[in-house]
Amino acid sequence: MTQNNYLFEMIRSELTWIVGEAYVQTHDADKLGHSIDYYWVPELWHDRGEKLTPPDFVVHPATAKEVSEILKIANTHNIPVIPWGGGSGSQGGALPIYGGIVLDMKRMNKVLNIDPLSMTVTVEVGINTQHLEWEVEKAGFSTMHFPASIACATLGGFIAHRGTGVLSTKYGKIEDMIMSLEVVTPTGEIINTLPVPRHASGPSLTELFLGSEGTLGVVTQATMKIHPIPESRKFHAFLFKTMHDAMAAGSKIMTNRLRPCAIRLYDETETAKLVKRVLGIDRKGAYLVFGFDGPEKMVDLELEQACAICRKGALEDLGTEAGQNWWDNRYKFFYPPYMFHLPQAFGTLDTVATFAHIEKVYWAMKTTVQDNFPQATFIGHFSHWYEWGCMLYARFIIDNPPQDPHEAVALYNKIWDMAIRAAIREGGVINEHHGVGLKLGRMMKDLYGPAFKVLESVKKALDPNNIMNPGKMGFPGKGV
Amino acid sequence: MHIEKQLEVISACRFCFMCRHLDPVGNVTFTEADTPRGRALIIDKIRMDGQCLGNRDFIDTLYRSALSAANRFHCVSHYDETGLVLAARQDVVEAGFAPENVKALAGELAKASFTVHGKGSILYYGTHPELYPGCKALSGKDPGKALAVLGFAKESEKVLAAFKKAVAASTCKTLVVAEPSAYDFLKDKLDGIKVVHCTEYLLSKQVKAGRARKACYLESDFLKNYNNNMPAPRELLKKCGWTLVPFGTNGEESYAVGEGAVVYDDLNPELCEKLCRRVYELAAGAAAKTLFATASLYVKDTLKKYNPAFNVVTVEDLVANDSL
Repeated sequence: MTQNNYLFEMIRSELTWIVGEAYVQTHDADKLGHSIDYYWVPELWHDRGEKLTPPDFVVHPATAKEVSEILKIANTHNIPVIPWGGGSGSQGGALPIYGGIVLDMKRMNKVLNIDPLSMTVTVEVGINTQHLEWEVEKAGFSTMHFPASIACATLGGFIAHRGTGVLSTKYGKIEDMIMSLEVVTPTGEIINTLPVPRHASGPSLTELFLGSEGTLGVVTQATMKIHPIPESRKFHAFLFKTMHDAMAAGSKIMTNRLRPCAIRLYDETETAKLVKRVLGIDRKGAYLVFGFDGPEKMVDLELEQACAICRKGALEDLGTEAGQNWWDNRYKFFYPPYMFHLPQAFGTLDTVATFAHIEKVYWAMKTTVQDNFPQATFIGHFSHWYEWGCMLYARFIIDNPPQDPHEAVALYNKIWDMAIRAAIREGGVINEHHGVGLKLGRMMKDLYGPAFKVLESVKKALDPNNIMNPGKMGFPGKGV
Repeated sequence: MHIEKQLEVISACRFCFMCRHLDPVGNVTFTEADTPRGRALIIDKIRMDGQCLGNRDFIDTLYRSALSAANRFHCVSHYDETGLVLAARQDVVEAGFAPENVKALAGELAKASFTVHGKGSILYYGTHPELYPGCKALSGKDPGKALAVLGFAKESEKVLAAFKKAVAASTCKTLVVAEPSAYDFLKDKLDGIKVVHCTEYLLSKQVKAGRARKACYLESDFLKNYNNNMPAPRELLKKCGWTLVPFGTNGEESYAVGEGAVVYDDLNPELCEKLCRRVYELAAGAAAKTLFATASLYVKDTLKKYNPAFNVVTVEDLVANDSL
């Protein structure tokens, strides 16, 4: 849409009437920031001086009613609406690939109620998750949601792509934390899902919107669980000769039904590279760290049980200090210069599988990357553990990708295509917590098979004009 | 361009979101442009395409930054996005693209003059000379910091030269500075002169301890984020009998309403009022008669401007009140 035509001005006037002049932005500075998220491809595009696709409008609604009115305008003019939280998603899910209206939700950032009896917080989902945690802590509780992107992302962003935090093993992913949602449907109805997540009153509408990445509507409010601040939280680390040995110990901790708040296992390559660089632990092998929290007596008991499991197969007991060191520096991995960044090409091949499959998935991806792309380094860690399996946070890094951006993206996509399909063949699911977005949409049909038609039908029924975040999650685009 | 000397910062900040939660302006405008990432992207764009230096939207964004440096203080690698913005402002000014209101403000600031009064071997530069018996007093407006922050480097140097001349004329070898922005500016610019902040000086003296009372201390951008969390203001308040109550929900955000940008209220009054409103909202949760203390006269005056009933004083006011 060009800023010189009548329609642009007509739509701007309509949007301004809803939210006020200060909250409809069309300036270059605002549009630049909304043209790039944390996906490597737009970063590369910017770096190489290529033309990005900006939104036509950046709109900041203050209420669900305003969101509803905006969606009605978008339906009238058949223009895309792309919800935007912190913009820190890595899958291109918030990119306005067809222009249109970016619905920046950060103005909807109020904590509406903390219920100390039920231990829930009701909040507008544009709130930054670190701000949310601070507010909840001030009331004497914690969300226990500690993702690496806690300072970057909004609660809505986590809801949109089923995000997770470091303590997921005990406290769950965002879908386990959410009680209920307020959603504005693509046609502008404001609806609420049932107030509790456990019921037998039909399928869960809350689940339908969790992970829908702004394609089925706009989540405006959420009620989520909060927790008492634990009396104690302790960590311990071990070094194993191989990743396989460490995986055996980690899975035994889980299948013995101990309840760690976190487990993280770094493969030999990542231990040698990142654990050394960030934590200063210079060892050859696989670094395994875990922690427990709660009443101190229970923490000590469970920690000792877990340590006993590890001591049977570990090369070295690195102790509590090395464990605490990891916890204290858990976000440091994601700050520059520790995080990978351009000119490197890098991607997180986030996959989840059962214990029976997870190592096969790891080796399938690693072999695929190493055999086909000798210029790439493959590293991985296992970072979210469940009773039945865990998540593989595998990454490929190319230090010197092609200078030509088209060549670079073609190479990048080829690695994704081959590695992810290898993972799916071995029983892996893409993905555990980064979402699908633009990056992985093309693989949704492979992943779901005929079941994807069900998702397509839901999309079509809820969003007949396909205004909501078109071209994402494998759903149709708007045409180029 | 000056920004080209900061490629490492551009490279680190342009795609990094890790400190966005601490940008005071971004937290009230909600725009991506008003975050360290947003500004670094703009500056990177200017670096790649020099014509963008004249883009009004980009320039406005650069002058909207409150320069609190909370982001830099928080960053595990302490990348200096604040310094990057200052470099970009200097490029804007030198290319002749400074906005009219910025130029007008700079013109006023360039008129600063300085005079020395009284007798003593120590020179005090602030608004409470009665607290410094036996010291000479230096009066005058900003010593060049504000001009430097606006991007007028040469004009800043001229004002600083006038300030240095006044200091030299005093023959004092120690300068006690009250305003944190001036302290930050002067601390390593006066050869042969020891520059201390007024709270450091008062802490070294026999300060009268009052009865036990409570106050919220609003951290100074300059003393905390620019000067590695200088403890003197808090220690002085405690020595005077004040128990400090935490403000807000955390110890990381800046509530200094644009102190880091020195003349922020003159430059962006609407935005500055929004920053103040955020402080008032957070303060509403505190006890009704809570006293707020700040090391900065700018912070006090600005918070009072938009809500005259807001109970805020400077640390020097508190000490003066106890002493007199």
